[in-house]
Amino acid sequence: MGLIRLIIFGFLGMTIAYWLVSWYSRSVRLERLEKEWDADPQGDDAARQAHLDAGMAAYENGFRKKLILLIYVVPVVFVITAFFVTNTN
Amino acid sequence: MLQRIKFGLKVLLIIIMGGFFHYVLPQHDVVRVTSTEIIRQDFSWYNRMFYAQADSGNVEGTNRDMRLINTVRRKTWIWGFFRRESEEVMVYRNEDTGWIWPPYFKFDSSNLQAESAALAASGGQEQWAVITHYGWRNKLLTVFPNAVSIKPVAGPDVRVIPWFNIFFFSFLVIGWLFLRAAWRQFRERNLDPTLNAIDEHVDAAQDRAQGVWGRFMAWINTWRGKPRV
Repeated sequence: MGLIRLIIFGFLGMTIAYWLVSWYSRSVRLERLEKEWDADPQGDDAARQAHLDAGMAAYENGFRKKLILLIYVVPVVFVITAFFVTNTN
Repeated sequence: MLQRIKFGLKVLLIIIMGGFFHYVLPQHDVVRVTSTEIIRQDFSWYNRMFYAQADSGNVEGTNRDMRLINTVRRKTWIWGFFRRESEEVMVYRNEDTGWIWPPYFKFDSSNLQAESAALAASGGQEQWAVITHYGWRNKLLTVFPNAVSIKPVAGPDVRVIPWFNIFFFSFLVIGWLFLRAAWRQFRERNLDPTLNAIDEHVDAAQDRAQGVWGRFMAWINTWRGKPRV
């Protein structure tokens, strides 16, 4: 019963952390793309939007976004490690 | 006054957080186990929160048997950072934390009790050990720290590096820095533009209102007596 509760609340907590970090990462990426463009504009507003869309699409398929999934992996590994460290002599 | 209240609240928050971490995080004591025993513990409403829950699958009663480890330990200064030459007795409880709070995932209380008993019966010579525990000893409330693990050492002068606490506080600082950065990003990118848009709306509405109201007040003012020179 305790294990089920740990899994449910742990999953909730990890989901909130994942959501926060992925929002932040996306926001920082978009800001960087905007600044890149504004420093060296190569066209009108439509071209700017196209540049941003292309950059964000690249981000969505990139490796960096997949790294955020570690938020789900690391705590689980930690719990399993802590379990074995505590309970083996 | 408000400044003082704010300051007081901050101090209170730091004390509560400090107490919380001091209770929950693991600490290491250098001890000699003298005996182990089992007592029946009758919980009350004010010391119940300082004990773990009943073992998995058992019913939660108002009393149950509890394992204790009696030791003599080296006294310390400042949360165990400086060890002293003098000794004192210390009693640890030995309870499963299970999957529940605090997250030590401890299920081997019986084994730990057997290890402690083996150390206590070490044939006459002084057998020192490092005991990892969390929690507080309080005689008024009858509260014991919970032993998590015990490891025999050669002598009382061992250096224990609290790796877990080092990593934990580093992680805490990183988490805090992330939350601050995320909040700043949110304010800069989402909150401020929205608030500015609202501000502009409000300003525009005020300007319009000023137009009608201003003209009305100017008309009222024409009724007032003019200062005579």
